[in-house]
Amino acid sequence: MKQLLTKRKLIFQISLAFVALIVIMLACSLIGTQHISIKSVFAHSSASNSINPDYEIFMHVRLPRIILACIVGAALAGSGVVFQVLLRNPLADPYILGISSGAGLGSIIAVISGFSWTLWGRSPIAVFAFIGAIGTIWLVWFIGRLTGKSNVTGLLLAGVVVNAFFSAVIMLLISVTQSSKVYSTIFWLMGNISEEDIFVLWMGAGFIIAGTIALFYISPQLNAISFGIDDARSMGINTSRVQLVAFAIAALITSIAVCLSGLIGFVGLIVPHGVRLVFGPDHRQLLPLSSITGAIFLVIADTLARTIIAPAQLPVGVITAVVGGPFFLLLLIKSAHKTSWFNR
Amino acid sequence: MNIIEVQNLSFRYSKAEVLRNISFEVKTGTFLAVVGPNGAGKSTLLNLLSATLKPAAGTVKIDGKKIGSYSTKELAGKIAVVRQETIPIFGFSVIETVMMSRTNHYGQLGFEKEADRQIVIEALKVTDTTRFSSRSLANLSAGERQRVFIARALAQDTPILLLDEPTSFLDLKHQVEIYDLLKVTQNRQGKTIVAVTHDINLAAQYCDSILLMTSEGNFTYGIAEDVLSEKQITEVFGVRVFAGKVKQQHFFIPLGKFAKDGGKTIDTQDQTPM
Repeated sequence: MKQLLTKRKLIFQISLAFVALIVIMLACSLIGTQHISIKSVFAHSSASNSINPDYEIFMHVRLPRIILACIVGAALAGSGVVFQVLLRNPLADPYILGISSGAGLGSIIAVISGFSWTLWGRSPIAVFAFIGAIGTIWLVWFIGRLTGKSNVTGLLLAGVVVNAFFSAVIMLLISVTQSSKVYSTIFWLMGNISEEDIFVLWMGAGFIIAGTIALFYISPQLNAISFGIDDARSMGINTSRVQLVAFAIAALITSIAVCLSGLIGFVGLIVPHGVRLVFGPDHRQLLPLSSITGAIFLVIADTLARTIIAPAQLPVGVITAVVGGPFFLLLLIKSAHKTSWFNR
Repeated sequence: MNIIEVQNLSFRYSKAEVLRNISFEVKTGTFLAVVGPNGAGKSTLLNLLSATLKPAAGTVKIDGKKIGSYSTKELAGKIAVVRQETIPIFGFSVIETVMMSRTNHYGQLGFEKEADRQIVIEALKVTDTTRFSSRSLANLSAGERQRVFIARALAQDTPILLLDEPTSFLDLKHQVEIYDLLKVTQNRQGKTIVAVTHDINLAAQYCDSILLMTSEGNFTYGIAEDVLSEKQITEVFGVRVFAGKVKQQHFFIPLGKFAKDGGKTIDTQDQTPM
């Protein structure tokens, strides 16, 4: 029975991954245009009222940004795992069911309407992107349900059609408005990690951690659902409830990630695959390890994005695609040599 | 006692009526084969018996209670299902797959208990799958994989086992192995087994009773000797068969246009006992 995942093994793996994440977060927070060291950050200056610039950079510039990358990476990788199993499609990513175009449409509408308020530190662009993302995925789910309760193909097709339709509406809006702000919106949508205030971080982190823990609790059921809805049902799984809960949580944490950082591709696709290839498909293990790996991946990608052409910055989405694309192809070719696709 | 009772069961897919007024009862511990031509509604019947489909009319009772009144979890304690060629999208190992049938019994944090482990070890042993229990499902032969899914159904620990064409992709040896395995679980554990099959000969050899369905929605139900006759089979399947009997064992060979003697002169008297 040693082939089976045990509680002790899982706790050990999660702790190890967590330690790796903390070390990488610390290391990355020291890298940047201004070189700082742990020692200087926490060194007490003899004059107690003077400001330690290294401490300021660490606490107010680097750390918030790294925490943001961390929670967004975790959210995308975690929901990537869920979408892949729910849609029974290894090519699914968190944006597959229309979240990308919905978020795009939302933010373009925000720009055109010229709103200038902020909500909990978020710009109208981010707020509307969130509403657009959540609204679109609800719409896709609703249309998918009309084609049948366990019809995964119907859901996927609904996603494709809604995506195409909203993309067309976005193009239409862009061409009629000709606002210069549209370009900055598109740039924002391409995926950006930037300095955030602590309150926004706490809130985002709270939702995403709670969501990931909730998903962990239904991960044995997700294992059964990998065999198809009928099979899972005859094993006694309440599939409609599990699907609804998993879908709602994954959609929510993805939309929160979009609201915080725009659309960052590839994390939600390649991280689950990479973790699955190494550790196997058991969701009790796959879900927490993917979330932590996603966090590590995005922290590193963002560090590259802000240092490669420093002092200028690249959108992090560019890095994840440039690094993630070839890596994914490598995995694909490697796994094609085995008897079955995405077999570990 | 009748563990499965089917009364006036009907089902239709939008316009096409598949089942019409089917009624039969299955005694506890019986091995029932459901046979019939393609499109006769065999798989539909299986899906109705496992509550995957809801009947248009009529009732299915399991253990005296209407199937619709069971929760998904309760029903999974009564009926385990082996479907045709299920392959998961991800490469779960054999033991992970078999353990999955215990999901409902998992303890805190979603891990199996010692009792679940014992049941799974036993199911692996009975199905002779222990030696490849750590291999991935995708790397098994069709016969091995079918045994794994039977192991999973056995580990679900239910009084009823439903199987949809359990031997359709298997060679002769593996077909017999699967039926031997089913017979053993019927005899040892007293399970009630309902298997949809195309193989009339294996059904005649192993099953206590036969439900012969026709594409017109009619059916014949009874013990194998009564239901499976040359006349019935020729009528229902629309093909001539050579029916014989060797040492109490009935067998049927379909005869096509190009059968050795031109398919014309075969007579059941021609057989030479082996």
